[in-house]
This record gives sequence, C-alpha cells and structure tokens, in this order.
Amino acid sequence: MAQHNLRTVLAFEVSRTLGKKRFWFITLLVPIAIGIVLALVVLGNMTAADTAARQADTKLAFTYSDASGYVDPAVATKLGGTAVTDDTAAIAAVKSGKEEAHFVYPADPAETPVHVYGVDKGLFGNGAYNGLATQVLITSAQDRIGDPALTALAQGNVPITATTYTDGVEADGFLGMIPPLIFVVIFFLVFTLLSNQMLTSTLEEKENRVTEMILTTLNPTVLISGKVISLFVVGFVQVLVFLLPVLVAYVFFRTSLNIPELDLSSLTVEPGQMIVGALLAIGGFALFTGTLVAIGAVMPTAKDAGSWFSGLIVLMIVPLYALSLVLSDPHGPVVQIFTYFPYSAPITAMLRNAFGSLSGWEAAIVIIELFLLAALVLQVAARLFRYGSISYTSKVSFKTVFARHTGSATRK
Amino acid sequence: MVPNTESLVHVQNFRMDFGGTTVVEDLSFDVRRGETFGFLGSNGSGKTTTLRALLGIYAPTAGVLHVDGRPFTPEAGSRLGYLPEERGLYKKESVLTVMTYFGQLKGLSKNAASAWSMTYLERVGLGDKAKSRVDKLSGGQQQKVQLGVTIMNDPELLILDEPTKGFDPVNRRLLMDIIEEQKRAGATVLMVTHQMEEVERLCDRVILLKDGRAEAYGTISEVQNQYGGTMIRVSYSGEIPASPHYEVSIRDRNYAELTLTDTVDEALILRDLVQAGVLVRSFTTSKLSLEEIFVTVYGAQNEMVGA
Repeated sequence: MAQHNLRTVLAFEVSRTLGKKRFWFITLLVPIAIGIVLALVVLGNMTAADTAARQADTKLAFTYSDASGYVDPAVATKLGGTAVTDDTAAIAAVKSGKEEAHFVYPADPAETPVHVYGVDKGLFGNGAYNGLATQVLITSAQDRIGDPALTALAQGNVPITATTYTDGVEADGFLGMIPPLIFVVIFFLVFTLLSNQMLTSTLEEKENRVTEMILTTLNPTVLISGKVISLFVVGFVQVLVFLLPVLVAYVFFRTSLNIPELDLSSLTVEPGQMIVGALLAIGGFALFTGTLVAIGAVMPTAKDAGSWFSGLIVLMIVPLYALSLVLSDPHGPVVQIFTYFPYSAPITAMLRNAFGSLSGWEAAIVIIELFLLAALVLQVAARLFRYGSISYTSKVSFKTVFARHTGSATRK
Repeated sequence: MVPNTESLVHVQNFRMDFGGTTVVEDLSFDVRRGETFGFLGSNGSGKTTTLRALLGIYAPTAGVLHVDGRPFTPEAGSRLGYLPEERGLYKKESVLTVMTYFGQLKGLSKNAASAWSMTYLERVGLGDKAKSRVDKLSGGQQQKVQLGVTIMNDPELLILDEPTKGFDPVNRRLLMDIIEEQKRAGATVLMVTHQMEEVERLCDRVILLKDGRAEAYGTISEVQNQYGGTMIRVSYSGEIPASPHYEVSIRDRNYAELTLTDTVDEALILRDLVQAGVLVRSFTTSKLSLEEIFVTVYGAQNEMVGA
C-alpha cells in the first residue's frame, strides 16, 4: 500500500507540475533567452565576418612616419602605406578627410604606444586601423627574422603538454577535473531552480487546508518522500530543457558561434570520482530538500519561511567564496570545517573531489553523513508535517511538535 | 469502561492538554458498528480535538483511542471516510484530478476512481464541472466534491465534522440522503453537528460534551429522560392524586402538567388517574426536544453554531 501511495503521490506531483503552463513558461524562458543570445551571437559573428571580408577586400590607404626604423618600407607600401616625415601635416590631412589614416611609429614601439589617426568609421570599423598598424610591424619583423618558426616562438605561440604524477601515478590534470565538476553545476542549477518549490511543497497542503484529509489517508513520510522524488524528476526535466539549446548550438551552430571543437576523448573520466560526485550531489540534494520541506511544514506562509531559506543558501554557496582556499589548502581548518559541516559539505566535497584533494575515507564520511542526515531530516520533516501543518495560521515551535504527550494546536 | 466487542470506535479516559490547558478530560465512549452516533457540544467543548486525536492527528495526553481495536493509522486497513471541519482541496487542480488522486490514495485504481467520481458528480449536479478547477466552484459545490472524496472508498467508518455547514436546505437534504445511504450500506457514522433535527432524524445514540467532559451519553430517549424525561399534559375534572411516578409541575383548575420521575409506562399513569376518579378529557405525552436540552445544558454559552 505504501508503495502504491508513493507512486500515486509521485505521479500526481509530477503530472500537475509538468501540466502547468506557468511551469513551462518559466522553464522555457531560460532556453529561449539562451537561444536569443546565441542567435544574436551568430548574427553578430556573421556580420563581423562580412565586415572583415569587406575590409580585407578594401585596401586601406595610409601614411606613416617611422622613428624606430623597424618598419620595412616595402612591406608598408605593399599594405597601402606611404612614408611621410611631417606628422602634423599628415594628421591635418586625416582631419580634413584627404587621407584615411596616419600611423606614427615611435622610436621604441615595444615601450611607447603607436599613435593611430584615422577617419572615424564607427566602433568596429576603427579597429581596422589598429590591426593594420600592428600588421605592418609584425610583417616587417617577420621579414627581418626570416624564419616563420622563430617568429612564432618570439610571439609566444608555444604549445605545451604537461604530465604530472601523484604517488607515482600520472595525474589527470585539468581535463580530469571537468567531468566531476559537472555535478557541482547540476547541483547548483537544480537547487536554484527548485528551491522555491521545495519550500512551498508542503505549504500548499497547509494553505489549501488539505492536511487533515492527507494525514488520515496516507503516512506523511510517504507524502514527503513522494514530493522529494517528484522534485528530483522535475529538476531532471528542467536540466534537460536547459541543456537542449546548448546541445543544438554545439551540434549545428558550432562554427557560427566560434565554439572551439571539444575533443571529448581527451577528457579523463575517472569512474570512482564520478560515483563519489554523483553520491555527493544526490545526498546534498536530499538533505537540502528535506530541510526546506521541514521548514515549509512549520511556517504558515512562504514569506515566513524566507529568512530560513536565505540562511541555507548562504551556507550552501559559502565554499565558493573560499574557492582559492579549497584549491590551495584543502586540509586547512577552514576547508575541513566546510567539508564536514552538513550544509556546506556538498559543494566543498564536490569541489575537492574534482580537484583530487578528497581522499577515499573523507568522501565516505561525507557521503554517509549526508545520507544519514538527509534520512533523519526527512523523518523530522514528516513529523513536523504531521504535528505542525495542522496549525494552519501560526508558526509551530519544535518544542511543541516534539513534546510527546502534548497536543500541538489551538483549542477547538 | 470495558470495550464493547461490537464497538468500532472505543475511547477511554481520554485527556488532552494544550500547554497548561486541559481541553478534554476523562472522556469515555463507544461507537457501535453500524450505528449513527451524534457528537454534540458547544464551541470549544473539545469535539474536533477528540476526532483529531482519534485519527492520530494529535497525540493524546492520556487515554485510549481505538478504531477497530487499535490506534488509527492510515495503513491499518480501516476504510475511513473523514470530512474534517477545516475543508480544503487542491484548489488549482481540476475537480476530477483531485477526486481521482484521493481515490487512488484510498486504494482504488485510477480508472475506478475516475469512473466513480464522474458518477458521483453527475448525481450531485456537478457533471459539467469535472474539468473545472476547484477554486472556480462555489463554496457549496466544493463541499459536495469534498463529501464525494470522503465517501468514495465505501467507508466502514464515516466521520463527519459539521457535514451540513455551508449547504442550502436543498443540498442539505441531498447530503442527508447520502449519509442515510451510507448507513444502509453498513457504514458506522460518527457526526459532529449543531443541527438537532439532523441528530433526531439520523442518530441512534449521542454524546454531549461540555467543557471537555461528557455531559450526557446514550440513546436520544435516554438523554431526553435524563433532562426532564416525559411530560404529560392532562385536561381533567376532579383531583389529581399524589404519586411516586410523577411530579405535578403545573396545576390549574382543569389542566395539569405531570413530569415523570421514573420510566413508568404512561398508560399506567392514565389508568391510575381513572381509577382515582379523575375525569380525563385529554391526555398527551411529550418529551423535551434535543434542541431544548442543548439550550438547557449550554445555557449561558448559548452558542448554536461552530465547533
């Protein structure tokens, strides 16, 4: 019967949430916004590409003076330049529109800026002057060096692959951190989107005066469990909806969006790390959900529950503010406290898991702690709902709820 | 009190404290299988608190509260239909969705719950509202939906806390018909109400609560006897004799009112009067109505509505 009721509650909660226009309006706002931004980026890139192509086709005529001697006159001429000695006259010619641009190369262009004067062509058009002035110098320098490889080295274009070792085993490096960090993103995203629903899920029974009907029909633990699982399901649907435009953009518009091609084969997926990350995310989600449901059960309105909710959010995200400490001193006292304090543990432990500084036994302790506490909090939430939600208009104290032989509501 | 084997509900020495205040004290009663039991009392007398404690919503301070021989839990298997004083449904959902949901929670399949709900809604004139949101219905219509949710699992115990509150006379009659149907189908009914005509029409036995204590308990006749018993109005000629069976409360020249002091048959009183030479022109008997008893008991409180 309990399983039947759990399935019934789950189906009811999921179907009525997914059946609401408001849910889809809010959920689709995010991908629509992402889509609009991506479309604008595609459009902007296409325009920029057209502009660049047009600029490439249009040869810019310019004058220049060179106090450094680094500019190769042949290069400058090839790029449309004419050497002059009177900067004042050249600038005046630009001002009057007789010349398009004038570049003043100083004696030491590595230390002193090159001055560029040009006819205004708008924000993007003006960029062509800077590009051309730099191009003149680079091409002149390349010609002088006479070796493209040396030129590339001089420009610092040096690809490097690092291999590091931990306890004699090759470490995964940055690419190994990305997969387990996904759990941090998912945890944060789902919690942010669903926290309000978690908080108000039992308030609804109270505000609609359904509590007595519910309490005499099914066990409150079943109700709360059904609600928590339904939040998991709804959160999963929301994540899918949010990811959809990103996937579409990656598959179909990668070139237009200038998205670098991601070589997934280079990502290192460590099964142990992924399992730990998933367990931390699930345990953390269960703990926060149970806590918010419990708060909702004792508060008469969502407004009254707000201050508790803010406190929980602060506890959850505080490890992100100490990210540098998590990275540099994972075994220091501050990070240790964050690792084991239940409400800061999920994100701290997930970060440390991704960075490789969470040992196996530390992970085991935190996971066990989160699941045990989540189970305890769910029980407390069920009790609070049983004895607290019947008090429709007032906040119920923990003392009243847990007083074993004393009733918990106003006289009727 | 020894639990009656025929009792579906058994309450013994129940006490309920809220903080330092005792709301119900040493309350004991039984509700027998198949009977309709009236739970009466003025505002704040502890009726709703007792029902909530009986159904496990409140933890009692002391005493035993059993349904079918054990403390009530939703999983215990008793088919319960409970219409609480605080009415409420999921207001943003459709009528049919809500009814089907509760039907499933009460053990029906989704199809069965949906089919039952449609039949019920047609019967109470809400067939066209099945897909309407609950909050689009009037208060009375919502009451009908809630009653449907209450009786949809063919309950063996039906607990109704002020069932007619908010109903107009036509719908009140419909509700009474539905309750009588449930009773005929074998349901045990425990109802809180302030409508004394409903009690007299439906209830086999009653309990009157005052300040958390039982003031009267038994069949309606027993309660009436407890509060004044039977009254005999006599028009006569002659002299009314003294008797251990009655007191003469009003005596006029040719008219008297006799209040019975025990359960003697009224026909014996008539025989005694005639044998004493009294010429009896008219002889009528009557009892105090429950409403008169209610007013007598709650006197100064004088609150006939609410719980």
